[in-house]
Amino acid sequence: MSNQHTSTLRVPLVSEERTLGQLTEEICAPMERKPSRMWWVAFALAVVTLAVGVGMVTYEVSTGIGVWGLNKTIGWAFDITNFVFWVGIGHAGTLISAILFLFRQKWRTSINRAAEAMTLFAVMCAAIFPVIHMGRPWNAFWVLPYPNDRGSLWVNFRSPLLWDVFAISTYFTISAVFWYFGLIPDLATVRDRVKGGLKKAVFKVLSFGWTGSSRTWHRYETVYLLLAGLATPLVLSVHTIVSFDFATSVIPGWHTTIFPPYFVAGAVFSGFAMVLTLMIITRVVLGFEHLITIRHLENMTKVIIVTGGIVSLAYGTEFFIAWYSGNPYEKFTFMNRAFGPYAWAYWTMVTCNVVSPHLFWFKKVRTSPAAIFVLSLVINVGMWFERFVIIVTSLHRDFLPSSWSMYTPTVVEVGTFVGTFGLFFTLFLLFTRVLPIISIGEVKSVAAFARGSHAPGHASHPAHGSETPHEHPAEAPEPLPTPALAAAVVRKDMPV
Amino acid sequence: MIAVDRFNGGSKTMTLAGAVGIVGLVLTAVGFFTAPQPTMFSYLFGFTYWLGISVAAIIMVAIFHTAKAKWITILRRTMETMGSSVFVFALLVIPLLLGAKYIFPWVNHGTDWVFPGTDGVKFTEVELHHLHHKSPYLNLPFLYVRQAIYFAVWIFVSWRLRTWSMEQDTTGALELTVKQRRFSPGSLPFLALTITFAGFDWLMTLTPLWQSTIFGVYYFAGSFLAAFCVLTIATVNAQGKDEYGTLVTTAHYHNLGKLLLAFTAFWAYIAFSQFLLIWVANIPEEAGWFKLRIEGAWKPLSISLFVMGFAVPFFTLLSRNLKLKPRLLAVVAVYLLIMHAVDLYWLIWPAYSPQGPSFHWTLITSFIGVGGLAVAAAMWQARGRYTLPVKDPYISESLRYVQP
Repeated sequence: MSNQHTSTLRVPLVSEERTLGQLTEEICAPMERKPSRMWWVAFALAVVTLAVGVGMVTYEVSTGIGVWGLNKTIGWAFDITNFVFWVGIGHAGTLISAILFLFRQKWRTSINRAAEAMTLFAVMCAAIFPVIHMGRPWNAFWVLPYPNDRGSLWVNFRSPLLWDVFAISTYFTISAVFWYFGLIPDLATVRDRVKGGLKKAVFKVLSFGWTGSSRTWHRYETVYLLLAGLATPLVLSVHTIVSFDFATSVIPGWHTTIFPPYFVAGAVFSGFAMVLTLMIITRVVLGFEHLITIRHLENMTKVIIVTGGIVSLAYGTEFFIAWYSGNPYEKFTFMNRAFGPYAWAYWTMVTCNVVSPHLFWFKKVRTSPAAIFVLSLVINVGMWFERFVIIVTSLHRDFLPSSWSMYTPTVVEVGTFVGTFGLFFTLFLLFTRVLPIISIGEVKSVAAFARGSHAPGHASHPAHGSETPHEHPAEAPEPLPTPALAAAVVRKDMPV
Repeated sequence: MIAVDRFNGGSKTMTLAGAVGIVGLVLTAVGFFTAPQPTMFSYLFGFTYWLGISVAAIIMVAIFHTAKAKWITILRRTMETMGSSVFVFALLVIPLLLGAKYIFPWVNHGTDWVFPGTDGVKFTEVELHHLHHKSPYLNLPFLYVRQAIYFAVWIFVSWRLRTWSMEQDTTGALELTVKQRRFSPGSLPFLALTITFAGFDWLMTLTPLWQSTIFGVYYFAGSFLAAFCVLTIATVNAQGKDEYGTLVTTAHYHNLGKLLLAFTAFWAYIAFSQFLLIWVANIPEEAGWFKLRIEGAWKPLSISLFVMGFAVPFFTLLSRNLKLKPRLLAVVAVYLLIMHAVDLYWLIWPAYSPQGPSFHWTLITSFIGVGGLAVAAAMWQARGRYTLPVKDPYISESLRYVQP
């Protein structure tokens, strides 16, 4: 992967000079030392929150979903909102690991592992909601189509909810395989570092007898590329199917053809916000600021501007077509969103999703971890409200004014939602303790010595500066005097 | 040693394309005086086909600058040149605006419109009422204003990026790269809005009582794929003196092949999303547009568009070997360009000929007429300039690009 000519204009991805050994030491350190007091505090908080969630779910399952605030008009609210929210969060992991890999974006190397783990945890959180909404979650396996003795009762293949089952289980499986596969070389590294005992035995099994020979690496990279190719369509398919849950219906505000790409963009938008939230904390707590640099954060904020822009364009198009269609129900739904009883939710959404990402146009904001952290939280809130607005405002005033109603979540619903955050952070905190959260092998491939002969001199450059040649005129390659000479300098067969 | 100088060839291509273009347009004008309505529909077909490619090329340049893509530097001049022909369309749009009443049923609130292919069917009272609701958007003066805005945005963005890029050919100033990279992301929201609404204006309002929020994305997806096809074909054929084709590596072709594959899939994804959601919901105000196309005489074309437009090229382009062979890749690109024409025909023509696919000779003349002029304009813009950004700071990295 390193036989490529790299311009000296490029700023290194690892901002401080490190040897191979140092990188291994640093990345393995958090899992080898005793947990800090901070970690224990955070973990205790997460577990307590998780316990709240478990309590709420137990109460709900033993009592019935009547303990939620749903009613005849609004039969779908908090649960599906949270489901879509969490599934959306999960998208950034696959985008970073698969699509950015295919685009050869090397800055992904220090964030992909954690983002993929985050994906798995987010999908677990998401899966809770449809399962508990079944009321009798012990019958959840009924969603699987197989010949059965329930009077041969089959699932409804025409229902997008069933497509969801397939899409999300496929997504979870492939994401888990991809994540685990990427872990194997690092698991072997950990195995080789452990002196003995149970830990050694466990990692020995987990690393599948990895030898690190060039043949092993060669096969590994081939399979990794293939898995990336397979995972790429999943980034689109999962949220496309989730959008079908709504768009295949005839409910005004739900049935619109832009939903699939718009949901996918929204998912990536919220997913990157969550990755930023987590990474900004992680890099400070674990001292990985030279691996997850400001440049990484900046790149992610740029993805947020783009996906936020797509989401805004979709909002605008929807609003325009709602008017243009001349359909009174469609028009009413959109006016009701903006000026009805849930207007506060709508304008929260607009402020958080349409307005706030534009602060990232300013370099000052893009390079300040504190500002990014705040904005990432704002976007997470905004994307939660987006789903709430789409779902609840479209339902609560339907075609029949006599059935109009309002929806307020109960303590049980809020508690369950908060509980999923407990689950998410519990899993993430455990992850930082038991596995290397940065891909050791991949980060080494972007470290200074892998950049060829000119690189070490530049490796000490802080990544905080702009990578634009404007601000680094000293780094410019020799100006090319005449075009004829230019062509001579660019011979492909000589290393320059 | 390979020396690249300013490009001075291509005069033959330019003259030929220009001649074909003028002949095509003159014949189309003749067609207009014999049969105005089919000619205007044909002209819309030729116009939206070539303009889409030109605008998509501008968007492409802006996207690659935004992403700071370096491998593509060697191909960038061609994309800039493709985009620079957009000024021709600012003139070519005039006949379309003057003849709007032949193609857009909403002109004059729909009162004069007689549905072609029927024996004098007109809008019903209810339909006229719905059309009247849309008149703040669907009226000729506002259409003119919108066209002016679209072309102002496109011409400005294309001119700005290309001028900086060419200035760098002589000065080699690094600031110019910075400027292009600063300007491009800012231009993207405007490009996205204009292409979305251009798609609405030219294609969706042919059926003014039908709407689909994804329609602008659909027009963009098809045009973007077509622009990659033109880029591939141009690169494969740019093998003459001072042309950049000789400097392109297999890795560049491989990437172009991958982009063709990705955007074939993207177009199909958008097309399928639109189809499935309208078909499954089956509500009267939307379903008609697809009912016309998936039932009766248009059905075979719709099915073949799916098979030939998606399945065949998608599975063909999966082959790695093919993507590494420039000539073969160019053949696939030509094929995809034909499919894009079928796609636009499928979008436009049922509005003129609901009873089934039909052919009018002006489809050919307007296609080669508009296309000829666009190609001639692009060649004219290319002459006397370098065919690649010779002093771009990343040109050496691009020339040395290998598959990582």
